[in-house]
Amino acid sequence: MTSSHSLEVADLTLGYDDRNIVERVTTTIPAGEITAIIGANASGKSTLLRGVARLLKPRNGSVILDGKAVHDMRSLDVAKVIGLLPQSPVAPDSITVGDLVSRGRYPHQGWFARWNAEDDKAVGDALEATGTAELVDRKLAELSGGQRQRVWIAMALAQGTDILLLDEPTTYLDINYQVEVLDLLTDLNRRSGATIVMVLHELNLACRYADHVVAMRSGGIVVEGRPNEVITSDVVQEVFGLSCDVMPCPRSGTPMVIPLGRHHMAEREAVRAG
Amino acid sequence: MTRTAIAPAARSFRAHRRARVRWGIALSAGLAIAVVVIFVLSMSVGSVTVPPLDVVLATIGSPTEKWHTFIIYELRLPRAITAVVVGLALGASGAIFQRLLRNPLASPDFLGVSSGANVAVVAGFVLWNLTGYQLSTAAIIGGFATAILIYVLAWRGTVSGYRFILVGIGISSLMASATSYLLTRATISDAKAAMSWLIGSVGMAKTSDIIALAVALVLLLPASAFLGKRLRVLELGDGTATALGARVTLDRLLLMLAAVILVALATAAAGPIAFVALMAGPIASRISPRADESIFRAACVGALIVQLSDMTAQHLLATPISTGIVTGFVGAPYIAWIIIRANKSGAAG
Repeated sequence: MTSSHSLEVADLTLGYDDRNIVERVTTTIPAGEITAIIGANASGKSTLLRGVARLLKPRNGSVILDGKAVHDMRSLDVAKVIGLLPQSPVAPDSITVGDLVSRGRYPHQGWFARWNAEDDKAVGDALEATGTAELVDRKLAELSGGQRQRVWIAMALAQGTDILLLDEPTTYLDINYQVEVLDLLTDLNRRSGATIVMVLHELNLACRYADHVVAMRSGGIVVEGRPNEVITSDVVQEVFGLSCDVMPCPRSGTPMVIPLGRHHMAEREAVRAG
Repeated sequence: MTRTAIAPAARSFRAHRRARVRWGIALSAGLAIAVVVIFVLSMSVGSVTVPPLDVVLATIGSPTEKWHTFIIYELRLPRAITAVVVGLALGASGAIFQRLLRNPLASPDFLGVSSGANVAVVAGFVLWNLTGYQLSTAAIIGGFATAILIYVLAWRGTVSGYRFILVGIGISSLMASATSYLLTRATISDAKAAMSWLIGSVGMAKTSDIIALAVALVLLLPASAFLGKRLRVLELGDGTATALGARVTLDRLLLMLAAVILVALATAAAGPIAFVALMAGPIASRISPRADESIFRAACVGALIVQLSDMTAQHLLATPISTGIVTGFVGAPYIAWIIIRANKSGAAG
């Protein structure tokens, strides 16, 4: 099932209280690809994702799913197409893995519909895909950070949406778990053609794992496109205010950002001097 | 074999889910039976003991002895019914608030809904000499007005659990001061009557209160399966709930409305019986770790707490005391325990 849904952001303005955080952003999310939204803190990247996920009402413009504004659609209909893993999801203390993942089926359960074999299959597949099947009886609170994040992803997968939004899915995770989560998301994208949009903090991992990057600064998009084409030292300077070298990663060939600080730059200085 | 093959993960999940459902049904049935058993026992004991079987026979209208009918119908049945309906309402209401606001301290006792009802009743009694159903109406209006006030003050585009609880605790103290002020203005006999209402007792409920509460329960408890489904996603936070297709603001408002109706009617009937709403939900989920949380089971635990407290209040000492005194004795250590436990797990609040 290659994602056949189109997702666009048209002239979108979002904000809290009296401040606009995202100003008139327009972009098209490439279907069936992994998109990473990058930018410094307060650049509006999480706000943009929250706007797409309907957690914020647009002040201007709209989020368009298959030609219709999502805010005009029935919430349950949108929930069958777009899933979200928020930045710090919360759950009751004593919840078990099986219970949590099964709650992802909510949009498929009508008013009086009973749980059926299709629901069992969707939850089973989600547990299988995230390698959490043997954890069903365990309490969420007892798991490691990496396991917990996989369980949350399983819940979002059980929702069975073609588009999955993730707000910083790797933040607060150890580096090994960060790679594990990104590998898992890539598996999902390759296996089912799901469209994945995530906010990522880690620039090098974003460049490696994303097909498409959207770089934001002060509420607007600075540049977007394939990491190989758009991530340059000038762009990083503009987006993060960081001087850096960008060179291809020796293993993946994707751009690798090497920050230049004021210290420990001996080799470069030597090269320049020589 | 014509059965389609099921992936191992789906099979192990299905086993997990079915086990939870079975546990849930077994525990719900067990609690419901316990409520019925205590219901009969509470009518059996007293100055004259009526054997449980005779209680049942007298209740269904074919007494073994004529005088059983008088004792059961006139003296003990109203009190026993009150304990059950008030307990069910408080238990359900507390569990809804606690899960909605994701905090074990978020019960209507602490959120000021009960204290709003208190002020209205004491004001009605002391200032305007209201009586009977007028006081019940005052309790309901007071409870609702306070709930609306808290909701409006805590509203910032959305309702955060902490904000709601803090505003609720503030309003609750304000209402307590208002109640104290009214009491200082009252005559001694009025103040004494008001104080006994403020402690809360099953014995003082009027038939009209019980009927109103019973109707609310008949409508709202079956709705709890339906409400429970929404609660299951709302308790995952606004972000996840919205993404799952819940209409967060509307659903939360409906759940709070149900909880406020129940607690206001229960308070109108029996006064603010302390700590029942606070304890019922957590006890219900503690005895059923292998089942999904359920509003029905919290309601049953609430009923059991009120039934047992009222039996203790009536029969432990030579002279009967108010139900609220017994629940207060049980509730105070319970709160200390919650706070100690929260500190231990590093999640105080």
